[in-house]
Amino acid sequence: MGLLSLLRQLKKSDGEARILVLGLDNAGKTTILKKLSDEDVTTITPTQGFNIKSLMHEGFKLNVWDIGGQKSIRPYWRNYFDQTDCLLYVIDSADRKRLEETGDELSKLLEEDKLAGVPLLVLANKQDLLNALPANEVAEGLNLFSIRDRPWQIQPCSAKNGTGLQDGMEWLVKQPGTVRQKATVLFLCIW
Amino acid sequence: MAAEIEGPTDELAMKINEGFRINWMNMRDARVGKVLWEQQWPEDWKTQETVASIPKEVMKCREVSRELNFSSAEPIDKFTMIQRVFVHEVCTEEWNFDFGFVIPGSTNSWQSTIEAADEQDMLEPEMLSGNVLIETSFLNGDTLINKSVVRIFYV
Repeated sequence: MGLLSLLRQLKKSDGEARILVLGLDNAGKTTILKKLSDEDVTTITPTQGFNIKSLMHEGFKLNVWDIGGQKSIRPYWRNYFDQTDCLLYVIDSADRKRLEETGDELSKLLEEDKLAGVPLLVLANKQDLLNALPANEVAEGLNLFSIRDRPWQIQPCSAKNGTGLQDGMEWLVKQPGTVRQKATVLFLCIW
Repeated sequence: MAAEIEGPTDELAMKINEGFRINWMNMRDARVGKVLWEQQWPEDWKTQETVASIPKEVMKCREVSRELNFSSAEPIDKFTMIQRVFVHEVCTEEWNFDFGFVIPGSTNSWQSTIEAADEQDMLEPEMLSGNVLIETSFLNGDTLINKSVVRIFYV
């Protein structure tokens, strides 16, 4: 199914929404977005800046920002916080060695004023790998259960075969509130 | 009114322009994610009209995505793109996109997915071929970095 055919099902509106996709390098951020557009995911290289996907339908705009996760790029993440409607944080569940590092980065993000109250969806990616940590252990490791200031959810998934991506959206649809609704409706659109 | 090629006059914009390049562009059938056209960008795109030969079948797609890949050596604070489409020297469409900050030494991409016009409103590719110009202005805030022109042929 095409992305725009989903957008088309929405009521007419002049809305605009921004989804920010972050996570360590090699977590699978770019692969997830490409998979969602049915694009080839066999030749993806590390993102050395940003990749933006813009969708437009009758004045309604959705911009998904995927920013590179390498250590040298992370200090620039803050340049992309403004007007974020939803934060999508991607984890390589098989990279046990860096669970602490990705947890630290996420904690820093959650303390940012510009991201205060922004709904968080954590994608525990690479579940197709045998050594992947299950989502509940990722949640434990990231200390997600202590989050009180925003709605959040963790979703196991595999960008490689596409499983779990749809399920992550089901939670978002159930979230109340204007900003959240905008973000969740849009999430549905891109899936 | 016509499409124009233009360089920067501002000192900072000149520095940015020097380290700025378009690497490639492509177009896909957005419904299936399939690449229909891809072109490496020529060295002289800032000073010469660039020719793009796009397969006619693009015009039959209900949803098309266009992707631009670019690199910048310098940081850019308020990077903005304005594109104008000229058909037979008449500007028929204009759109812009605010990128905001561009990381120094970065390579970035922007993919925009658009819907085709209704079939009865579509012009014939044979009529359009060679008569469509796309003028792209890159700016830092209000300051021009460069303005370039692509001539589209449908083949």
